[in-house]
Amino acid sequence: MAGILVLGAGKLALGDMLFILISFILLTLAVKHYAWGPITKMMDERSNKITSDLDYADSERASAEKLKKEREEALKNSRAEAIEIVNKAKDNGDEQKKSIVASAHSEAESVRQKAKSDAEKAKQDAMNDAQNDIANLSLEIASKVISKELNADDQKSLIDSYIKELTVNNGNK
Amino acid sequence: MDDKYKFIDFLGLRFNVANCLSALIAALLVFILVYALSRKIKMRPGKAQNVLEWMIDFTNGIVKSAFQSDAGKKFNLYAFVLFLFIFVSNQLGLILEIKVGGFSFVKSATSNPIVTMSLALMSLLLAHFFAVQKWGFGGYLRNFTRPYAFLTPVNLLEEFTNFLTLSLRLYGNIFAGEVLLVLIGSVAKSFGLVSFVLAIPIEMIWQGFSVFIGAIQAYVFTTLSMVYIARKMTKE
Repeated sequence: MAGILVLGAGKLALGDMLFILISFILLTLAVKHYAWGPITKMMDERSNKITSDLDYADSERASAEKLKKEREEALKNSRAEAIEIVNKAKDNGDEQKKSIVASAHSEAESVRQKAKSDAEKAKQDAMNDAQNDIANLSLEIASKVISKELNADDQKSLIDSYIKELTVNNGNK
Repeated sequence: MDDKYKFIDFLGLRFNVANCLSALIAALLVFILVYALSRKIKMRPGKAQNVLEWMIDFTNGIVKSAFQSDAGKKFNLYAFVLFLFIFVSNQLGLILEIKVGGFSFVKSATSNPIVTMSLALMSLLLAHFFAVQKWGFGGYLRNFTRPYAFLTPVNLLEEFTNFLTLSLRLYGNIFAGEVLLVLIGSVAKSFGLVSFVLAIPIEMIWQGFSVFIGAIQAYVFTTLSMVYIARKMTKE
């Protein structure tokens, strides 16, 4: 080996250097064209895809989380709302019940009152009728008995006074 | 050791047939390997693509650790080809040695100092070229005076020692490996069948070790090339 260097002192194998350089450059270009270019492009694409996929997954997860929270919130709200509705309905029912009962009470009271007053009136009417009848009857009897045509009005007032006295006495008893 | 070579003189330059042929074969092997591995490139890699991507990641890692940043990205391809070429060249001599009529034709291209010097020269030229491109010629020259002006001679000397150590380390390792292989081969032939049987395991062990050394030296050469380039591109 040293022999070459010594021998080559006159003529170093510079051609080798040139040959190696050229072949190395050609090799580099060929590798770049056939393998390096496509594969590094693909590796870059893949790393970009992984990055974007990860970003996408992150955003999806965040939105899912948000949705879940919203749904939970809605569920909680709806439960409270349902309770409120039920309570309201119960209150309404109670109130209605109370008002119905009260109105029924008052109605019954008024019916009773009316019946009472009607009965009172009927009694009064019957009393008055009887009074009149008795007055007329006694007037007739008296006129027949006396057969003297008294003034009917004087007669009636006289008898009325008698009867009133009678009723007062009755009421006192 | 005392190999003889055929020379061809062409255009006033002297070509060593063994070196040129070996380098050509190594380059072709590298190309065939890479070409075969890169046929079906897909988003979801197959086996071949995985192997290729693993090699690319490996050399990219070398470049990245030398530069400590993404500034070395443009040297990724260079590191990849350099590593594969040196690796294949180192292994070629272990598998294939062709001698015709006492003349060597095929061996490890890297077992010749001229070849390793060419490779080292290429790396260092790249380093200087990119240093000038980055700092300008004035800045490039001023970088020799860093960190102290009185260290300038040492810095200048370092350029030569870098070149020599880079090239001769590779050459020495591979050349010594081949020499020992030849020596063990001659031991095998010395005492007939007994020495032949004895020499086989020794030869196997040494070949395995040489494969290891070849891989390590390819790695070292690539790493140091990148370190030199990176150092030239940063102010000390």
